[in-house]
Amino acid sequence: MALAAYRHLLRAARIAFEGDAYRLTAARKAARDGFESSRALKPDSEEAVNNIVHAEAVSKFLMENLVQGKAMDGEAERYKLRIHERTERGDNESIKLAGKKKSHPTNTKAFRS
Amino acid sequence: MGVRFYSAGGALGKDEVEGRIMDLLKGFDKVTNQEKLTPAAHFANDLGLDSLDTVEVVMAIEEEFSIEIPDKEADKLHSVQQAVEYITSQPDAH
Repeated sequence: MALAAYRHLLRAARIAFEGDAYRLTAARKAARDGFESSRALKPDSEEAVNNIVHAEAVSKFLMENLVQGKAMDGEAERYKLRIHERTERGDNESIKLAGKKKSHPTNTKAFRS
Repeated sequence: MGVRFYSAGGALGKDEVEGRIMDLLKGFDKVTNQEKLTPAAHFANDLGLDSLDTVEVVMAIEEEFSIEIPDKEADKLHSVQQAVEYITSQPDAH
């Protein structure tokens, strides 16, 4: 399970930091260091399981909620964003629920590895 | 407008795949024992790679051949030979 999480994290970093060797290298190192620091944990211990859940959450964030921006030539304060196919798109559906009495359940979907 | 004709191509040859995977491993700094780097080498037993290193190697192989290996398949790749067999079986690898 940990190995799959590590793979997902590396893959997410590859997508999130495409073309940005400096940050991609740093992200890979951070991922490796994180997994190294948990190496001694028993695979089924609570801490190990929590760390894997955390790693999967980081992967999801990198993949869906991080967008690279590149300053546009000669245009101050303007950036071209690289939105890719995995970038999360909000549909604003939830705004229709505002003001309605019935509360909608919070999203507590668990991560799978 | 020009029209390009791409060759049918198909799967890559075994020798080419093997060569590219070997080159990739040659450049992997955690492979300490270069003498044991042969087409039959096992990532852990021969090359001294740990499980995280092996994940990194498989990821590097994905990048080299521009494919994404599903977890189920990736977990089964433990040697150069297994990787070569997997890549040659993938028509999308290039």
